[in-house]
Amino acid sequence: MGFLQDTIADVRQVKRGWRWGHRSQVPRSAEPFVPPSSPNVYPNDWSRTPAAAAVRELAQKAALEPLFRSQVRARAEGVDVLDRLTGPVIFAANHASHLDTPLILLSLPDEWRRRTAVAAAADYFFDTWWRAVGSSLLFNTLPIDRRGGSLSTTPGDVLADGWSLVIFPEGTRSRDGWMGSFRLGAAFLAVEHGVPVVPVAHRGTFAAMPRGAGWPGRGRRTLRVRFGDPLVPGEDESVRDFARRVRAGVAQLLDEDATSWYAALRRAASGTTPDPAGPEVAEWRRVWESTQPPEAEPRRAWG
Amino acid sequence: MLALEMYRSVPRTIIGKAAGGRIPLMLTGVAAPLRLVTLDPPRVRRPGWARLRVRLSGICGSDLGMLSGTTSLYFSAVVSLPFVPGHEVVAELLDDCDDLPAGTRVVVDPVLACAARGVDPCEACERGETNRCSRITVGDLSPACRPGSAHDTGGGWGEQLTAHRSQLHPVPEGLSDEQALLAEPVACAVHTARRAGVRPGDRVLVSGAGAVGLLATLALRELTEAGEIVVVAKHGHQRELALEFGATEVVAPGEALRRIRRATGAFHLEPELASPYLLGGVDVALDAVGSTASLETCLHATRAGGRVVLSGMPAKADLSAAWFRELELVGTYASARADRSFDQALGLVAHDAVARMSKSVAPYPLHRWREALDHAHSAGRLGTVKVAFDPRRTS
Amino acid sequence: MTRPGFVLEVDDRTPPLLVHEGLGFRLEDFPIGTRVVYPPEPVPAVPDVDEAIRDALHHPVDSEPLPALLKPGMRLTIAFDDLSLPLPPMRAPDIRGRIIEQVLELAARAGVDDVELVAANALHRRMTAAEIRHIVGERVFRSFWPQGALYNFDAEDRANLAHLGTTEKGEDVEISKRAAESDLLVYVNVNLVAMDGGHKSVGIGLASYRSLRHHHNARTMVHSRSFMDHKHSAMHHSAWRMGAVVKEHVKVFQIETTVDNTVFPKPYEFLMKREWEWSVKDQAAALGMRRGLALMPQKLRHRTFHDLRAAYNLTGINAGEVEAVHHRTLRNVHRQQRVEVDGQSDVLVLGIPYLGPYNVNSRMNPILATCMGLGYYFNSYLGRPVVRQGGVAILYHPLDEGFNTLHHPSYVDFYEEVLAESTDPMVVGEKFEQQFATDPWYIHLYRTSHAYHGVHPFYMWYWAAHGMDHLGDVIWVGGDPKAAGRMGFRTATTLRDALEMASSTVGSSPSITYLHNPPHLLADVR
Repeated sequence: MGFLQDTIADVRQVKRGWRWGHRSQVPRSAEPFVPPSSPNVYPNDWSRTPAAAAVRELAQKAALEPLFRSQVRARAEGVDVLDRLTGPVIFAANHASHLDTPLILLSLPDEWRRRTAVAAAADYFFDTWWRAVGSSLLFNTLPIDRRGGSLSTTPGDVLADGWSLVIFPEGTRSRDGWMGSFRLGAAFLAVEHGVPVVPVAHRGTFAAMPRGAGWPGRGRRTLRVRFGDPLVPGEDESVRDFARRVRAGVAQLLDEDATSWYAALRRAASGTTPDPAGPEVAEWRRVWESTQPPEAEPRRAWG
Repeated sequence: MLALEMYRSVPRTIIGKAAGGRIPLMLTGVAAPLRLVTLDPPRVRRPGWARLRVRLSGICGSDLGMLSGTTSLYFSAVVSLPFVPGHEVVAELLDDCDDLPAGTRVVVDPVLACAARGVDPCEACERGETNRCSRITVGDLSPACRPGSAHDTGGGWGEQLTAHRSQLHPVPEGLSDEQALLAEPVACAVHTARRAGVRPGDRVLVSGAGAVGLLATLALRELTEAGEIVVVAKHGHQRELALEFGATEVVAPGEALRRIRRATGAFHLEPELASPYLLGGVDVALDAVGSTASLETCLHATRAGGRVVLSGMPAKADLSAAWFRELELVGTYASARADRSFDQALGLVAHDAVARMSKSVAPYPLHRWREALDHAHSAGRLGTVKVAFDPRRTS
Repeated sequence: MTRPGFVLEVDDRTPPLLVHEGLGFRLEDFPIGTRVVYPPEPVPAVPDVDEAIRDALHHPVDSEPLPALLKPGMRLTIAFDDLSLPLPPMRAPDIRGRIIEQVLELAARAGVDDVELVAANALHRRMTAAEIRHIVGERVFRSFWPQGALYNFDAEDRANLAHLGTTEKGEDVEISKRAAESDLLVYVNVNLVAMDGGHKSVGIGLASYRSLRHHHNARTMVHSRSFMDHKHSAMHHSAWRMGAVVKEHVKVFQIETTVDNTVFPKPYEFLMKREWEWSVKDQAAALGMRRGLALMPQKLRHRTFHDLRAAYNLTGINAGEVEAVHHRTLRNVHRQQRVEVDGQSDVLVLGIPYLGPYNVNSRMNPILATCMGLGYYFNSYLGRPVVRQGGVAILYHPLDEGFNTLHHPSYVDFYEEVLAESTDPMVVGEKFEQQFATDPWYIHLYRTSHAYHGVHPFYMWYWAAHGMDHLGDVIWVGGDPKAAGRMGFRTATTLRDALEMASSTVGSSPSITYLHNPPHLLADVR
């Protein structure tokens, strides 16, 4: 019996000492010697296994898509560019809302959707296990470090495995619906791995569910997403130049969505594509303008 | 008269031999071939003999061996069953005996040699080596080496016995009965010390710190010029006693060989499936236990050409060392009259250490013999050196 | 990134802390306010070991490059540290083997034929063939062992000792004859702690009793404060004086290495982690290991620990002139082990692990445990002891492993006979050292079996002399009372009891410092 009692005593001591069920603590005098907590990232290699893909398929098709379509109207344009592509690509899109990810994913043809992962901030989506599991299962997210640290599985590995990636090069959601500056990550990956970048532009998500909102606004807003021609990094093109080109591509798509393809093409050629960063005016006017709904589709009686 | 009588009982002896080691309770219970009986007091038939009333009679290791059936059958020819055991005796004379008036307190030299048997002295007795008498089976008495194994003399574990004048040594005034009781074992120890042939400065090992070992240590220290005396003691309290009795060092049984190796700078060998031994070692080793382990310790810890003294009734042992190391194997039995061992012993029992030791003598009345024997069996562990019967006691 | 060592102050947020105790460990709740000294984390390793060795041999300190010292027809001896270093033994390949291979390659290229390799085991036990093979590597072993050109040093082989003279203080310098008569003596060391290396390598590793007795005695050790600080160690002063004599007779090319402190391999890394950083996995491992050990018979526990091989990384290698090399080596050792501690405390707590220098593949007997605690760990300081004069040491070890009679025959007698008489290092030294040192049987076992020399237990006791002299009381937590009593110490079952017992010496609220050892640390007490 001694052994059993000792075991119980040991377990109790460890349970009490290491505060099971609570957050662990660091002795005060040891705090200067604890490295800045490296973000606790839950690895999610498992989420790209066939089993996880099957679960995801079910979750997306049976739950996410009906729910999504019940809350917003979405229209995708230019998906046909994907017909001309085979291997993995990087989808570089502007980022205005949490709706962006389902919008883009659900706009993709099934065979592309199944092979596409979404780069997501490790410090937000992967700091707790339930968020890591949930977002991996629903959106096939892949943790990336927005501070530039390295993680166990890099986006490069995933690309090399034949997965396409959705990247929001702004790195964060827009505050006012307009596009921010692009970080170099997407361009870097494209240059490094020789993968084409498909620019993606969408409008309406900010109006439907801006930063801070937990659910799309009432009234089934219209969202529009437009895929552009793939951009391939040139032989000697620097990452910085290519990143600029990607941003221009997205800007042109936004312009195209607001006006027309040919007009946008002309403006692009003459270098007068409107700045996607928006006019430098008072914040309320920027928000006002960015939340103007795309011209509405004629509402069908049975839609 | 009341007496404890040992009788022939094959089943009891077998039980004692078989189970005594594991269940010591049996040795003083069902397996003990001993009974408390009322006997006719022994009668004096010849001149020179007298009746004695026992004051104290000790329980010796050899008595216990006999009762538990571990004694070699070798001795069956020199005892005459049934008999009253007890050979360590303090008594007072009931009759005048030659020069000794009735009432004199005496101790008894247990050896029944030619003089007591009323035969012409044999060669040994002629030289005074009474303990080596070769006529112990003949003459007026039944075959017996000593009272307490002869049925017609009686023994110490009864109220009375008879003895021949040649066996009697008067106890000087000033000695207690308990001290006097130790005279016989001390006399044996004196004899042992003589037999050990210790030369000045010799290193001696005494294996065992019971009464035999302790008294031998005393005799060696007092009567010889032994250098270092290492005593092997099993129990903690024996340590103090051994040092009082003159030991230079006291070691536990497991340490003995190593300690002697260290002290003598000998070499230590470990044979396969046999006990380790030394090349080199003490000059004289004395087995005061009589167990195989003790005897082998002695044989294995003695230098080549050294002497091993068998002071306890010996058990079987591997004698290879005696052959290979040319050891002198020396027995020592009781004491010889010519040595005047008893006189020396009666002097030695006055020694402080013995006086202190005599205070721990535990007397029992005869009817509590089972208790007494059990006490004697575990005397070493309990811290008693000598357990005795006092037939005068009623409780 | 390597984090430095630091001193933790136990507060309400501190989890139980790991304390080693022989073939096991416990998780101890220390009183609030206890200072716990943690060693630095492993410092960065040398990126390319072979390249680093090559560089050291070709660009030595204050010496010609090794290739320039090697001539055809010369007599070359390579000596190396024995199995008492490093602790625990290094996972193969041992760094000494890698260095010796490179030295031999150079020697072969230079056409040196007369090469002998000798393990500098002084009065330590002879190593077995397997143990030597582990150190020098299979290639070297195969080339030299069968010819008898690779062997243990025999400090009792009178015919093969050379008396080089005496120091200015009259100390005899007697070392291996082969080493003394070589044209070049290359010494390959592993400098695990600050005590090792320098002139201690040749001057002690290859010396006989006649030489060692001058500094391995109670008087010297009490004046070595500490023996981990060679500038303040009477023992090292003596060794340095002897080193000067050696230098006059033989050219020594010293190669010293330092390793980091990754002493516990997988899956036991949690033993080196700071407790509040233990993951759930570490906690489970600690629990599992504790319970597992409790179920195991002693033999199996012994195996579990003694089979560990540490995955050390080389942190530095220097070669050349002894003192210049040692100076650099010590810098590396300090980088890995030194921790600043602010002031002394009343009570010093130490956990004695399963292994010390003298029980590799053997048992940690009570004398070795004492030597480990009051010798090595107590002396692990620079400046002044971690505990104040008259303070109390609380040591954790069960003291129940008994003696290995093959390796430590004289220890048994020392324990049973000498310690029964006195536990004062001075007294036992005076009275018994000579007897034990000259006992023919011990000498025989030392030379032919695998036994430590007869006098070795005395050295262990001297090692602890400074500690015993300095401390007011020594209490073993969880120790066998009989063994502790024999050595003149007391025992307690728990830390609380021990502090209660100590209160008569240091009061009821003493300041406590626990050295979180192993891995080894060196407290720089200010």
